[in-house]
Amino acid sequence: MKKYLFYISCLIFFIFPVLLMLFKSVTTPWRSGVTLNWTLRGWEVVFQDSRVIESMWMTLLIALAVALINLLAGVPIAKALSHRSFPLKNTLEAILMLPLFLPIMAAAIGLHITMIRLGLANTWLGVTIVHLVPTIPYSIKVLKAGYDRIPQDMLNQGRMLKAGAWHAFRTIELPMLIPSIRSSIFLAVTISAGQYVLTAIIGGGSVLTMPIIYYPFLQSADDTVMAAFSIAFVLIPAAAILIAEAAASLLAGRFFMKRRSVL
Amino acid sequence: MKWRQTNRLILLLLPACAFLLLAGGSLMLAFMESGRGENGFTWTYYSALFERRELIDSLLYSILITLSSTLVSLIAGWLIVRTFYQLIDGNGKWMVWIPMLFPHFVWGYFVLLLLGQSGLISTFFVQAGLLEDRTLFPILVQDQAGVGIFITYVWKEIPFVILMLLPVYLQLPKQYKEVNAVLGGSGADWFKTIEWPWIKPVMFETALIISAFVFTAYEVPGLLGVSYPQMTPVLAYEWFYSASQDERAMAFALLMFVALIFGTIALAGFALMNKRRMLLSKSSHRY
Repeated sequence: MKKYLFYISCLIFFIFPVLLMLFKSVTTPWRSGVTLNWTLRGWEVVFQDSRVIESMWMTLLIALAVALINLLAGVPIAKALSHRSFPLKNTLEAILMLPLFLPIMAAAIGLHITMIRLGLANTWLGVTIVHLVPTIPYSIKVLKAGYDRIPQDMLNQGRMLKAGAWHAFRTIELPMLIPSIRSSIFLAVTISAGQYVLTAIIGGGSVLTMPIIYYPFLQSADDTVMAAFSIAFVLIPAAAILIAEAAASLLAGRFFMKRRSVL
Repeated sequence: MKWRQTNRLILLLLPACAFLLLAGGSLMLAFMESGRGENGFTWTYYSALFERRELIDSLLYSILITLSSTLVSLIAGWLIVRTFYQLIDGNGKWMVWIPMLFPHFVWGYFVLLLLGQSGLISTFFVQAGLLEDRTLFPILVQDQAGVGIFITYVWKEIPFVILMLLPVYLQLPKQYKEVNAVLGGSGADWFKTIEWPWIKPVMFETALIISAFVFTAYEVPGLLGVSYPQMTPVLAYEWFYSASQDERAMAFALLMFVALIFGTIALAGFALMNKRRMLLSKSSHRY
């Protein structure tokens, strides 16, 4: 009973919107008195517009760069917060979470003039940097939870067996962190791909990401096309996760061979 | 040895410090812009804010939407987790993740599509003969009261609440339930002495993240709002791109003012809960 209640409400509130959008993207507009017809026009418009295709690549590039920097910044601090003790640790952790509680638009407009001076305004790099503000706190949170699950004894054992910092990271910490790394990439990518205002302010309209094209047309363009475009947003996290998994297995394969050769 | 340890610690902290420099620096820069006067720093733009009728209306409107949508999504998400956490941890997790895949404005567009006057539900009512004309359908989206914004945020934030609270419930030690039963505790005792203290820090954090987001995000009210009253971020965005230099400075002042309020609440809350957080993070090491 409880089970059905849960699955049915999930279906209605979380899955039905997506299914409806999917259905809408392959049918002609619904009006009373007009019969429904199947059409692929919505998807054709989305995938034949070179600006849209370009924006997808740009969104993916920025999202992946954001995710990568998130990991590079998040893993070390997560380890320090979880397994080291130092003065003001709790304060530092609270301060690192602060960007989540502050208006990100303030950060964007604050950086705007500096970005212009540095020549980063209207570039994808500038947009990547500003996307770090709302993403890194989440990554630190997720990765710290991941490190909390690694027992200190395990790290001590690595040290006892004289593993260097890098070797210990690769063979002990990394394998146990994989689920947290996956969530952190996923969060960073979805947050980055969903930013309209930050991208519009720093990118100045010349960095074309999907929200920059999608948002202004939300009310003017026809529903079949917009429904298809809405669904297309899923492609970004999906592609990012695939790329991350491929990179991970490539790296893991290399590591695996190397470990064997040591033995 | 000690020196090397400290050195390594600094290395671990370095990237995060660079990030703090970016986030803190950007706020500092915004603050400087908010008070750029002809001769040095001035607070005039801050006082000018409160002379604008539209801002007072906007703040009240934003507070109303923020409080209502935060409260409803928090309570709904919490009740769902508390009832179903075992199911969610089993097969349900991916379903909860689905709304997280879409940006907020896509969800807003969906609400518009569903509940707008020319939306699916009104069309359905007209087709079924329950309504004569679609203009008789109540204006739920792009309405004066912000119902569309409220619905979008609640719908989108419930999964977020679930994902924030899920690990807390999964980590709640099962022995506590037995201890409570052995000592003759009732359901209310269980809630008061174990469950609530255990979830309180995360509830507070989640409430703060959601309210700060709802209060300061442009996308959803920019899409589903009306021209008056506007939510604060929409006003700030328009002022920022306004031709008048004064309004531009006021956009900075407005966002700094909001940042100050949320920053104070966050820091005060964390200072009060720090002890509890520390105990929680220590206990999660062992299992």
